[in-house]
Amino acid sequence: MIEAMLAAQGVPLAPGRAERLAPGVNALAVADPLRAGLAFEVDATTYLLALSRNK
Amino acid sequence: MSDPAALTLADAAQALRQRELSPEDLLQACRRRIERWQPRINAFVSQELRNSPREGPLGGIPLAHKDMFYRTGRVSNCGSKIRRGWVATETSAALERLDAAGALDIGSLNMSEFAYGPTGHNEHWGDCRNPWNPEYITGGSSSGSGAAVAARLVFGALGSDTGGSVRLPAAACGVTGLKTTWGRVSRHGAMPLSHSLDTIGPLARSAADCALLLDAIAGHDRRDPVSSQEPIEIGIERPIGAMKIALSTAWIERNAHPEIAAAVLGAARALRAAGATLLEVEPPDFDLLSAHCLVVMQAEASAQHAQWMRERQEDYSSAVRARLEAGFAIPAAQYLEVLRLRSAWLERFRSTTLGGADLYLVPAIAMPLPTREQTGPRGGAEMPKLLAGVTRLTRWVNYLGVPALALPCGFDAHGLPIAMQLVGRPFAEGTLLAAGHAYQLATDWHQRLPPE
Repeated sequence: MIEAMLAAQGVPLAPGRAERLAPGVNALAVADPLRAGLAFEVDATTYLLALSRNK
Repeated sequence: MSDPAALTLADAAQALRQRELSPEDLLQACRRRIERWQPRINAFVSQELRNSPREGPLGGIPLAHKDMFYRTGRVSNCGSKIRRGWVATETSAALERLDAAGALDIGSLNMSEFAYGPTGHNEHWGDCRNPWNPEYITGGSSSGSGAAVAARLVFGALGSDTGGSVRLPAAACGVTGLKTTWGRVSRHGAMPLSHSLDTIGPLARSAADCALLLDAIAGHDRRDPVSSQEPIEIGIERPIGAMKIALSTAWIERNAHPEIAAAVLGAARALRAAGATLLEVEPPDFDLLSAHCLVVMQAEASAQHAQWMRERQEDYSSAVRARLEAGFAIPAAQYLEVLRLRSAWLERFRSTTLGGADLYLVPAIAMPLPTREQTGPRGGAEMPKLLAGVTRLTRWVNYLGVPALALPCGFDAHGLPIAMQLVGRPFAEGTLLAAGHAYQLATDWHQRLPPE
C-alpha cells in the first residue's frame, strides 16, 4: 500500500522500505475524541479565526 | 570590564549606549570566543560580516543566525547537500528587521538538514556539539543557534520552530528560546518546512534578551500570507503578581525523569514566590496532539521536497529521506481532517487546560538528554524511542500554534541543562517573557557558563 502510494507520486522506494515505514505511518492514525463533534462547516482555514478568538 | 562577550545582550546594548564599549570591542570579543570554541562545538558554518553597521536599538550587537535565513547575494545552505552554495536573491523579513535595528550579522549557524531533525546531527556539515559536553546532542533543528548562544559566541540568534526546533536546542544548551505564535514573525525569505507549523523566534541568554530581539523582528508583513496584524506588547517588567500559572504536578512526577521533575516543580515554586498563583489542571493529551502535528509536518514537508525526492533522493541523509518518504504515505483526507480539528483543540487548550490561567508550565524535555552516539546514524534499536521522547513535549505546541518559552531551571547529574517550558495563549509572548524575566531575576541558571 505504502509502496503504491509513493509510486503514484513518482517517488521511488527501495525494496523493504515500505515495511519499515509502515509502523510509524500507522501510528499517526489515532482516534480523536473531538472528531465526532466537529461541525460539517469547519475547514482548515477556520483555524485563523480561532487564533484571534482565543488570544 | 571582564570579557564583554559574557554580557547579556541587554547589558551589551547599554554599554554601547553609554560608550563604555564600542561595537568593535564586542565583535572582537565574540571572535576570540569563536576561535576558541568553534573546533569543539561546530556551531558556525561560515564566519563573515554579512551586513553593514547601523544605528539602532541593537546597533553594533553581534548576532548570527541559522543557515536558512536568506540574505541577498549570500549563501544559505539550509544544512543540506542539495542547497550547498545556493545564493539567495532576497533577504528574509526577519534579517531586514534586525538590520534596521542595527544588529551585526557575523555568520551563519549550523542546523539540522532542512531543519528536519530534533537532535543537531548533520552528516553534510558535521554534527553540532553541546557546549556543556560535546558527546551529547545540542537539540535541533536550530542546533548552532543554541550552541553559539550558550558558548557566548554571539549575543543572540534566530531559529525556526516547526516541532520544537527553537525550544529543544535552547533546553539542551541552557539558553532561553522563544517559539512565537504562528503568524507573529514573518517567514518571508526563510526556508520553509511545514507552512502550517513554521514559526521564527529568537534564542538568547535571557528572557529580557529574547524580548529585545522579538521587538525587532515581530510585526505584520504582507509578503507572508499568514502574517498577523496583532499588536506586540512585550513589557517584561510588568509584575507577575496577578499571573496564574497552570501545571499538572502529578503528570510531571509520573512522566518526567526525577531530576527533571524536581527542577521544574522547583521552578513552579520560584514563580509562586515571585508572586504568581499556581493552579493544578489536567494535562493536554500531549501524545495525540503530537501525532496530529506529525501528520501535518510530514505531509507538508514531503510536498515541499517532492521534486528533489523524485530526482535527488541520494543527496539527502538517510534519516531525513526516511522522514520525507513517510510523508508521502499520509492520505490527503487524514491530513486535512487533522487541520480541521486544529481549531477545536486550540479552543480546548484555552478553555480547559488554561481555563482561568495565563500560562501552562511543563518540562521542555522530560527525559535525560541522549548522547550523539545514541541518536546518530549508528544509534541502536532504542533510537526511535529516544527521539520520540526528546520531542514529546514540544510538538503539541506547534499543532496548537501558540507561543512557548523554554528556559533553564537546573542541571542534571551529568552537568547538562534542564529546562522548563511556559506555554501561553495566542499572541501572549509578552506574558511569557514577563514570567520568564521574573523567574530569571530570582534565579541564576541562565547565567551559568559551559566549562572552558
